[in-house]
Amino acid sequence: MGALVTKRQLALWLLFAVVMLALPQFVSNGTLRIIIFANFLAIFAMSWDFLSGKTGYISFGHPFLIGIGAYATAILSYRFGVPIAASIPLAVLATMIGGTLFFLPALRIKGTYFALVTLAFMELMYQLVQVIRPDLTGGTRGMSGIKTLLSGAQPNFYFSFLLMFSIAFSLWLLSRTRLGTALDAISMNEEAVSGSGLNTTKLKLFAFMVSAATAGIGGAFYVHYLGSIAPRALFDINFVFTIIVSALIGGASTIIGPMFGAFFMTFLLEYLRPVLPGSERYLVYGLIALVLYVYQPKGIHRIIEDLRKGMGGRGKGAADGKAA
Amino acid sequence: MIQILIQGFLLSGLYALIAVGFTLIFSVGRVLNLAYGAYLMLGGYAYFYTVQQLGVPKLPGFVIAVATGALAGLAMYQFLVKRLKGDHVAVEISTLILAVVIQAAIVLLFNESSKILLPIVDGVWRVGSASVTNNILTAMVASWFILGGLMLFVKRTHLGRAIQAVSMDAKGAMISGINTDRINLTTWAISGALGATAGVFFASYTQLNPSMWVSPLIIAVAVVIVGGIGSIVGSLIVAHIIGFMEIITSSLIAAELRGVFTMLLIIGVLVLRPQGLFGRGDL
Amino acid sequence: MRKITKRHLMTVLPLGVALAWSGAALAQETVKIGFIGSFASDAGGLTMRGAQIAIDELNEAGGVLGGKKIEMVAADDGEDVTEGIKAYEYLAETEKVQFIISGSIDDVSLGWLPRMTEYKIPTLDTWTSSILIIDKLVEDFETHKMYFMNVATDEALATLYVDFGKDVLAGQMGWKKTVILQEDTAFGAAINGLVTQLLAPEAGIEVVDTIVYDTATVDFSPIFSRAVDSGADFIYIIASVNSQVVSSQYVKLQVPLAMTGVNVAALGQEYWEDTGGAGGGISTLSPVPSVGFALDPQSQAFADKYVAKYGNERPKFPHFNGFNAYFGIKQAFAAAEEAGGFEVDKWVPAMEKQDIKLEKDGQMWMRYGFWQPGEKEERTGRTYPHNIRFDITPPYDDGAPSMVVVQWYENGEAKVVYPPKYATGEFQVPSWVKK
Repeated sequence: MGALVTKRQLALWLLFAVVMLALPQFVSNGTLRIIIFANFLAIFAMSWDFLSGKTGYISFGHPFLIGIGAYATAILSYRFGVPIAASIPLAVLATMIGGTLFFLPALRIKGTYFALVTLAFMELMYQLVQVIRPDLTGGTRGMSGIKTLLSGAQPNFYFSFLLMFSIAFSLWLLSRTRLGTALDAISMNEEAVSGSGLNTTKLKLFAFMVSAATAGIGGAFYVHYLGSIAPRALFDINFVFTIIVSALIGGASTIIGPMFGAFFMTFLLEYLRPVLPGSERYLVYGLIALVLYVYQPKGIHRIIEDLRKGMGGRGKGAADGKAA
Repeated sequence: MIQILIQGFLLSGLYALIAVGFTLIFSVGRVLNLAYGAYLMLGGYAYFYTVQQLGVPKLPGFVIAVATGALAGLAMYQFLVKRLKGDHVAVEISTLILAVVIQAAIVLLFNESSKILLPIVDGVWRVGSASVTNNILTAMVASWFILGGLMLFVKRTHLGRAIQAVSMDAKGAMISGINTDRINLTTWAISGALGATAGVFFASYTQLNPSMWVSPLIIAVAVVIVGGIGSIVGSLIVAHIIGFMEIITSSLIAAELRGVFTMLLIIGVLVLRPQGLFGRGDL
Repeated sequence: MRKITKRHLMTVLPLGVALAWSGAALAQETVKIGFIGSFASDAGGLTMRGAQIAIDELNEAGGVLGGKKIEMVAADDGEDVTEGIKAYEYLAETEKVQFIISGSIDDVSLGWLPRMTEYKIPTLDTWTSSILIIDKLVEDFETHKMYFMNVATDEALATLYVDFGKDVLAGQMGWKKTVILQEDTAFGAAINGLVTQLLAPEAGIEVVDTIVYDTATVDFSPIFSRAVDSGADFIYIIASVNSQVVSSQYVKLQVPLAMTGVNVAALGQEYWEDTGGAGGGISTLSPVPSVGFALDPQSQAFADKYVAKYGNERPKFPHFNGFNAYFGIKQAFAAAEEAGGFEVDKWVPAMEKQDIKLEKDGQMWMRYGFWQPGEKEERTGRTYPHNIRFDITPPYDDGAPSMVVVQWYENGEAKVVYPPKYATGEFQVPSWVKK
């Protein structure tokens, strides 16, 4: 571990990008549509990971942040006709302000208690969106017909992938710096970090801001991809479930793990569709997540690492090398 | 005014009943069981299935529901919590996943539409403009008995004292010869049984549906967090604060703000006094 | 177990990079259509079954569009907005369906609506009555013109309610004051707005208090107390999401005030079973054909077929959207025959002209026709392009009845109590309410 980035790692990132960008030549549009959702989920999972995976401040209310970003740009563009080029940056800004609100409890509490406050934040937001100014938020039915940036599977695929990729790469680079290492240390032992002369409050604030900005960008572009927004789809414990499970199944605190976790979870659900079209799908999907998580709470990333060690070989697959 | 008092006590009794099983687990294992709401759901559906669909009499139906909850608690401890020993976050997350899985299973078995449980005890009478059903009255009385019984059990019986010892200092308890594993298993089973009991009453108050586990979970979390861990009396008091706050909001302020105040209370207390209003302060 | 998991992972992990969706090759002799809705809900299941019965009939009669067989692919939306969008994309991109029939609920339909405009797939909604969707057609017809809805919208519902209030509640019962209990949803707010606006001037009923409550409300006793104290003659309830809670607590608490209004849970035949009988006395507005609705011979034939095929599984009898799906599929394919397929510019005008008039005892009973773009409904003074043609202006004989009022009696019977032409019973006050 260290602040080092090897050429091999960069080559693997490049390979990943090339393979993904070539994908539309080989797969159907239906598959691309699924990957678009996976890309957005990956952004949300990475945002969660940068905060919770890294610092250990577990957020159960991440949709609070994503929702601020999504609703801000939706209201600005749909109700007030603000161009998207302005509404998205404003939405990201709003999310960062929301992130500051999120941060305040972290000054005093952590662990389970922090997780619960964030959950309460999300529930509060869910109720407020419906009660306060439903003429703006659309109340329980939300808004439909919000401007979309692009249309068609392929353009949206390229766009969402590039967005996801640049966020992933930046977060990964960031976590390789000394700053990233210090954040990791907070999750191990906050007192020790502050004892070694680092300002943990500033470090935490930084992690919260990065996470909020990522959630805001993700949420804002997500709503302009979907074209609609509804509180039930956002501020929902099932959405929390999907985000956290993606991050954890992939491997928390690794940035790359959550990215692959998001792909895994999205495809798991979609591949089950032709076999189990009904609600059995969610049962099987949940069970697989549960078994996988209980089998190895540190995620696929760790399973692969263990596998590699067990085989005594080096550099088996693509995913493990990058995450090392 | 009198009606607010009556309705406040009734609702608070129900809330105390919902929270008690959750308090128990939280004080012993210091873990949040996010699948706690699922006990209520399992209890409610088990009662509905046996009594309203199979036509089993109410009492055996109730026993079956409680047993279902206890079994769920046992299974949860044996297959999840024990495996993830010591990792609180892992327990919280895996119980959250489990709750979602149970929700999917309920959809599969009973479909998405809501079901109504008939009152466990029939009869209704009126005080002023307030109606009081014997069913709710029973829930309140039951919650007082269960809470009282639980306190006696914890303080007076050998098993209860062992539970208390584990809750205060698991390692110390182990050294002094207590089989912590067995104690944990028992506690989880009791918690499941209490949850299912509350579930039958909660469902007969509201309804059965596959996402019904969320709101009792939030109530339980609010009561336990605001009350402070491990304090049964604290939970009882806070159940009354939340219950009365809700009744007052609904009858005098604005009914749609019902949940907003509860959330603000959770956030406020957690930030300002994380150990809870009546907690031991051992965070 | 360990081994299996690892092997499993090894095969699944490369998904992210090397995925290939084995799109089933389209057989030339079939027409593929899609169903979107929740498999586990009554609403979704009914639309799917109603459509399937129509498809079977068409296939047995020699197929469509020159002898092709219809094949329906179903995608589950789980009543979840995001899943709904994914399901629509799946039908459009992977299954490449030509037409979609939907049993989605309000916010799910609004969720996939932008996808519909992108793929331009003719789509028919059979459950949601959201006026917001029809408003989209009013605002921008060209973009949304491939959309049809064969349930009368909320506007028709509210207007019929005002008539019911005037004729029955004020006229027959002599009630002058009401208190509105509204569930805090957009649907509730919309209905509340319309009713509050019209009730006093048109029906002479004064709204003395309005209580808006949260969907997760556990205990309605303080709310009912407030309603009783308001001095109203009856409660007007508007509940869609958790309407069973309020109605069953109303019955359990034996609230000494009559209650009527909109109660979505009471629309289906399963209501009695689901509430274990704790739902007697409840009345609600319902789209047609409702429970207790006398059926014309053609609808009856469909219902018989339904019962023969699905009568052992829930829902045992079709709700309104089962009928809507059945007749909707017939109309969509009749239009496709005329237009030579589902190409939007040709199919839409053909679909607009579809008009099934169902007669009973020599008079018009039900009608599956559509409001034309620009055509104004006299009473409400607005247009409803591509919404089912309904009639809320007496004497109810030119369109389908916009809605009816049904009531569940305390003995478990369900009857239509308004309007008079369709009534099979009389409006009653629960036995515990003093008149």
